[in-house]
Amino acid sequence: MSQLYKSIKPFLLRFASMPLAIVLLMVLAIASMIGTVLLQNQDQTDYLTQFGPVWYWVFRSLGLFDMYHAWWFIGLLGFLMVSLSFCLWHNAPRMLKEMRSRKITLADHAWKRMQHTHELTVSGNDIEAVAEKAEQISGWQWLSYREEGRTYLRGDKGRYHKWGYILVHSALLVVLIGGWMSVQFGFRGNMAVPEGGMESQISYVKGTGVESLDMPFEVRCNNFIINFFPTGAPKEFRSNLTIIDQGKEVLTSDIIVNEPLYYKGVRIYQASFGDGGSKVGLKLFRLDGSKRVDVAEGEVYKTYTDAESGVSMEITDFKPFNVENMAAPGQAKQFQDIGPAVDFILRGPGLKPVKVRSFMNPFMVDGQNQGSLIMVSLSGDNRDFQSFFLGPDLTNPKEWQLFHAFSEKSGGIEAGGGVEAFKAAVSEIYGDKRPEDFKDLGIRTLQGMNTLSGLPWPFIPVLDDYEQVYYTGLQLAQDPGMNVVWIGSALLTFGLCIMLYVSHRKVWLVIEAQDKGMRIRVAGLANRNLVAFDGEFNELLRELDDNLGLSNQGESV
Amino acid sequence: MTTAVAPSLISGIYQGRIVNTRFWLYVGLMAGAMALAFFGGNGYDEDGYLQRLLSMQGVIWGGVGAILGVAASFLVGGSTQPGRSSPAVVGTVPWFDGLLVMLLLMALFTQLEPHSSLVSYEDQSNLVSGKIVMAMNLLFLFSAVCYIMHLFAPESFIGKMATMAAWGGVYAGGTSLLLRWYESYLFLDGEIGHAPVSNLYEVFILLFCITSSLYLTFERRYQAKALGAFVMVLVSGGVFFGVWLDSIGQADIKPLVPALQSYWMKIHVPLNFVGYGAFAVACAAGLAWLFRDRLERKGSSPLLKVFPSLDQLDQLAYRSVAIGFPAFTLATILGAAWAAEAWGGYWSWDPKETWALIVWLFYGAYLHVRISHGWSGKTLAWWAVVGFLVTLFCFVGVNMYLSGLHSYGRLA
Repeated sequence: MSQLYKSIKPFLLRFASMPLAIVLLMVLAIASMIGTVLLQNQDQTDYLTQFGPVWYWVFRSLGLFDMYHAWWFIGLLGFLMVSLSFCLWHNAPRMLKEMRSRKITLADHAWKRMQHTHELTVSGNDIEAVAEKAEQISGWQWLSYREEGRTYLRGDKGRYHKWGYILVHSALLVVLIGGWMSVQFGFRGNMAVPEGGMESQISYVKGTGVESLDMPFEVRCNNFIINFFPTGAPKEFRSNLTIIDQGKEVLTSDIIVNEPLYYKGVRIYQASFGDGGSKVGLKLFRLDGSKRVDVAEGEVYKTYTDAESGVSMEITDFKPFNVENMAAPGQAKQFQDIGPAVDFILRGPGLKPVKVRSFMNPFMVDGQNQGSLIMVSLSGDNRDFQSFFLGPDLTNPKEWQLFHAFSEKSGGIEAGGGVEAFKAAVSEIYGDKRPEDFKDLGIRTLQGMNTLSGLPWPFIPVLDDYEQVYYTGLQLAQDPGMNVVWIGSALLTFGLCIMLYVSHRKVWLVIEAQDKGMRIRVAGLANRNLVAFDGEFNELLRELDDNLGLSNQGESV
Repeated sequence: MTTAVAPSLISGIYQGRIVNTRFWLYVGLMAGAMALAFFGGNGYDEDGYLQRLLSMQGVIWGGVGAILGVAASFLVGGSTQPGRSSPAVVGTVPWFDGLLVMLLLMALFTQLEPHSSLVSYEDQSNLVSGKIVMAMNLLFLFSAVCYIMHLFAPESFIGKMATMAAWGGVYAGGTSLLLRWYESYLFLDGEIGHAPVSNLYEVFILLFCITSSLYLTFERRYQAKALGAFVMVLVSGGVFFGVWLDSIGQADIKPLVPALQSYWMKIHVPLNFVGYGAFAVACAAGLAWLFRDRLERKGSSPLLKVFPSLDQLDQLAYRSVAIGFPAFTLATILGAAWAAEAWGGYWSWDPKETWALIVWLFYGAYLHVRISHGWSGKTLAWWAVVGFLVTLFCFVGVNMYLSGLHSYGRLA
């Protein structure tokens, strides 16, 4: 053996030592905790605002924002692999040798170590015959050794138990190698495909940035649907996809969560969904007193600009359902769908930019019409949306007219005379036939007088119609290491069961001639589960009695 | 008089040909039920599975499986002599028997369900399972009290009552869960039916049952009744948590989110709780060790006679971990397999996954120091206790405090 090997051997052995393994496991456990407390792969600006510049840079340079891929964490895993390898290198040959070599004879001083000993005497002097009969006891692997006047028998059960150790440790190595292969040769990323659209590129987070990768095929989303439970909770997200490979449609299939599609080694998963550029029509109710209502045709992710006033609407999202908690604070939650709504950022000369959510339907509570609703967020954050009841139900053209008629008529009448003005306005718009919800109509119109006049905008944008287009959010992954991981996992489970449940049980029989007949000494040793071994040893003695045709003449020691 | 007959009768059905045939019968039944899930009709269908299992189709598939199983028992043979059956058979059959009893109880209780016109999704308080859970809660609490009293009066009948109450709780819990499965089909035209392992409330009941039954098996095998006081106190703590969950409306049967609509849920979740339950028993054994150690150092105490020796407690803790660790390992692996099918990768460093890894590393280290390093005693007792705290955080804490892909276990 070379000099070099000799000099590094103690160092290598350290790798295989136990305390190191324990320390390594605990360090890995503690390190893993960090990433669960600190949210991973978030937006960098969020981290910056959360921790401030100093800590942000400290954490960032330690790779804590993507710590499971940080060099030091990978290093720890590598260290674990090294440690596992040396454990195996150090122990496996010895264990294999131990499992092979079975000492048949038993020295006298070894009897003291035995958990069970028993002695019996039989008549006759044919040692061979007795040994043969004893060897017929099933369940034990027997070996025999003959000496002058004495025969040793050794029986083993669970002789291969040390394979448990070898399997478990090599399985972990296999799993880690599989994981490394996944990271090294596989990919995992997302793509958003609008209904009717096509996509061939995935994007994924790497470190602090986003990267993209071309797929060897294109994915077309034919449609995307959501099915609901009767409770209103989503039951199923289903995309109908077509795979297009080099211009040819090769495969069309539905995917849902839990049932991915597999093509050319790539798995395609249903991961999310969103608006894929729905067409929305808004009615713009002019607030310049002209009573005009214009129509704006927009599309999600595009900006509509009103030529007349120069006000623009950057349409950001559309949702056909908006389930909101309608219960008063502190009451049991009561969810209700308040219908389709469009989100946009409204900008214009002299206006503070705000985010607006405009609903298509008037707001109804217990069948009572509370008029059209918009929500406004001054910060632009969805969490800051505040409800804004406009007053009139603008889906009803008559109420828009009534509002104007009332504001003209009430202009000259003193406070308190509002009722008369309202009655006059109603009969102007509705004629003699009073609408059924006359009282609510009054409240709405009055509300309109308060709110609409306070609006700084040149018009009120109200969602009128829509043609919804979803995008389906797909996750595409290729994982060449996965099967390796499964093999490792199977080995791990199997090995653990052997390691924890199989005990190596050894029994010895020493048959020797004595003055009168023969003496049989029996000894037993197990490395674990001694309770069960008690039973097995007694069972062996019973079978021995049966096979030798004896009644019990022996005595336990 | 009856006491003399009963044990021989009971041990009779756990011996020889009877237990062997029964084992294969159960294996056949399960294989039939699984084959029905995958090959009967148009593949696996979460919503209709239980109904199909209970219909003629289920009888046919299960029956064929059972017949094949019995046939296999004659082919495989195995020992027909009393006391000579394989430990795997003797070890598993009682669990299947218990499950069968729970199924029968469930069938019985379905008859007590309110009339279909009175069952509503909005108000589920009139369902029978809720009442059985109540009974379970009381039985477990009563059992805990009895086990503690037993420490001071080891000779009295209280010990027997404690064991009986605990068994009663296990059967009540198991029955209530099966009943919930049935009840989930009762409203909304059976559209939201699913196995009762989908939220924190349900898995808590599962955890009580697994923990208690593991302990009771130990109690019978190793005469370690003093341990019961510790196990059942842990379970009682859980019972209070369950009652609190119920009080904030978390006990209702709710539809499954799409990510959970998979047969993997029925495998992954219960197996995980075998791990958690075993770790709970290990923790109780660790606590008992520390308690006895304290008593011993204080001097003589009448309690010392009741307690198993330190060495036995140490063994019991190890045995529990030895059951829990492979189960937890397999559950985590199967969870990874599910993730590979639902989330696009077998490992995503999601907080729940990561904490499962932490638990695994923790007990892996426990086994290392114990098996290869020969440690025992105080350090390991503490290790078992702390290990369960880590497990508890993995189980409940992650859902409550951290966000991630497992967020459906969250308190809404």
